[in-house]
Amino acid sequence: MKNLMKLSVLGLVVVFLFTSCAKQPTQQIDEAKAAIAAVQAAKGDIYAKEELKKLNDDLQAALDEVNAQSKKLFKKYGKAKEMLAKVKTDAEAVKALIPARIEEAKNAALTAQNEAKAAFDEAKALLDKAPKGKGTKADIEAMKADLAGLEAQLTEVQTAIDGEDYFGAKDKALSIKDKAAAIAEQVKAAIAKVKR
Amino acid sequence: MKWSTIRAALILVCQLSLIFLLQSCQTAPAPPEVEQALRQEQDLWRAGASFYAPEDYEKYRGSLATARKFFEQEELKIGFFRKYDKVKKDFAAVLAEGERIRKLVEDKKASLAGEIVARKKDLQARYETLNTLSLELSQRTLSRKQLAQADVLFRELDRFLEKGNYDEARSRLGAIDSLLNQAENILRQQLERYMSQEEIARWKKMAERAVEKSRSGNQLVILVSKLERKLVVLRGGEPLKSYEVGLGFNGLSDKLHAGDNATPEGEYRVIKKVSPSKFGKALLINYPNEEDIKRFNEAKKKGYLTASSRIGGLIEIHGGGKDGLTQGCVALDDQEMEELFRLIPVGTPVTIVGTTDPNNKIIAILRREQK
Repeated sequence: MKNLMKLSVLGLVVVFLFTSCAKQPTQQIDEAKAAIAAVQAAKGDIYAKEELKKLNDDLQAALDEVNAQSKKLFKKYGKAKEMLAKVKTDAEAVKALIPARIEEAKNAALTAQNEAKAAFDEAKALLDKAPKGKGTKADIEAMKADLAGLEAQLTEVQTAIDGEDYFGAKDKALSIKDKAAAIAEQVKAAIAKVKR
Repeated sequence: MKWSTIRAALILVCQLSLIFLLQSCQTAPAPPEVEQALRQEQDLWRAGASFYAPEDYEKYRGSLATARKFFEQEELKIGFFRKYDKVKKDFAAVLAEGERIRKLVEDKKASLAGEIVARKKDLQARYETLNTLSLELSQRTLSRKQLAQADVLFRELDRFLEKGNYDEARSRLGAIDSLLNQAENILRQQLERYMSQEEIARWKKMAERAVEKSRSGNQLVILVSKLERKLVVLRGGEPLKSYEVGLGFNGLSDKLHAGDNATPEGEYRVIKKVSPSKFGKALLINYPNEEDIKRFNEAKKKGYLTASSRIGGLIEIHGGGKDGLTQGCVALDDQEMEELFRLIPVGTPVTIVGTTDPNNKIIAILRREQK
């Protein structure tokens, strides 16, 4: 009887050890979440969209695992810890990628801005030297006003660049470049009209 | 029992155990639906399912997570005991649901793209009308700035449509609409009078008086119609000569004060023949007349003009080219001005009206837009 009592106590101690020693990996969860937040803060939602989505999915899977284990009598958080550690490492790797991507987008935006400005300057120079002959004066005045509109849009490109909206800046700059080229063609046609 | 029989039985048991163990260690291949579903989830996200079908997509993700959990539980079992039937069934259901969501997202995107394209088409038609109006006017600078900006935004919109970025595309529609409203307001200020049948009737009466004047005394009368940019010399009530003319930078407006670059409307007469003038030969008219002075004083009294405003003067019919933009004068090509100068004596009545055509080009363009 004494032995039976001892065995029961021992059994309870073992059960207690199994169930209570395995604590939820809260520190690892916090670290993984912080690592993802850092990716987001580094503009990951713009420049590493897909990677950020995968990180969030992986974090969710790890949290599901933690949740599943917490409901078990014999909790084993080893796998969850591994998953969380991987999320953290992956997030750090993604964060490290972002500055290069931002730089790349910035350079593309600046290149497009320069191209737009060059196209604008070309149209303006053509317009300045266009002879205001018979049949062109009013056209030239209209084109000058068109260029004033483009100038306003060029300012918006700079505003977008200043706001680090490099994709938006690039799209706008390329559209301005196209319009400036169209105006330059109109000026050339007006000049040809005078020469005839 | 003989020892050899026991030994043979033991060997058989061992062999069977070995076969069983080998069988158990082998990993049964996971059903292909598992990998397909995981890829599908990524594809749905890329297609914007979380944006276009958020509730369905969340539900789908829940089903996928449940299916994965069951699959992982099966994976923990020894190969021999793994049963993938339920896993296959679960993932097949997830895939079917994913396919439904994919179609839903595609339909929603197509419908949104259709809406954007239709709205863009409307705005483009409006842009074309305003652009035509703007280029039809003598002062072509009006609203060009807004129209050029709208043109840039149309190009941006096309880029966003191409990329399937409908949110940005939609925002450009709003910006274009706002710019076209601004352009229309600017043009409307200039054109409203040309759409008013009362105003046209008033101008028509002025023109009829000019014709009558020319008929009654068989004298020369000059009639200028600003919208049509025409100067007609009448004699005996009939057109004798017709010339195309240029007007002021703000030529379609009625002149009110110095510096407004508007061409005056009213009944005047030639008070001096100037040769040479700054622009070849010129016929000076008696602007401001009594009515102009009255209007100017009233405007000043009502505070529409500052105290320092002046009424202006020196309005001429001169050379320099019909394509020129003047500060309010009426300009002809030099050769035609020479002819007119020879023909017109001092004292010739000059009537300047906006238009006499009740179906003038502005009304025609606006009617076209309404259609």
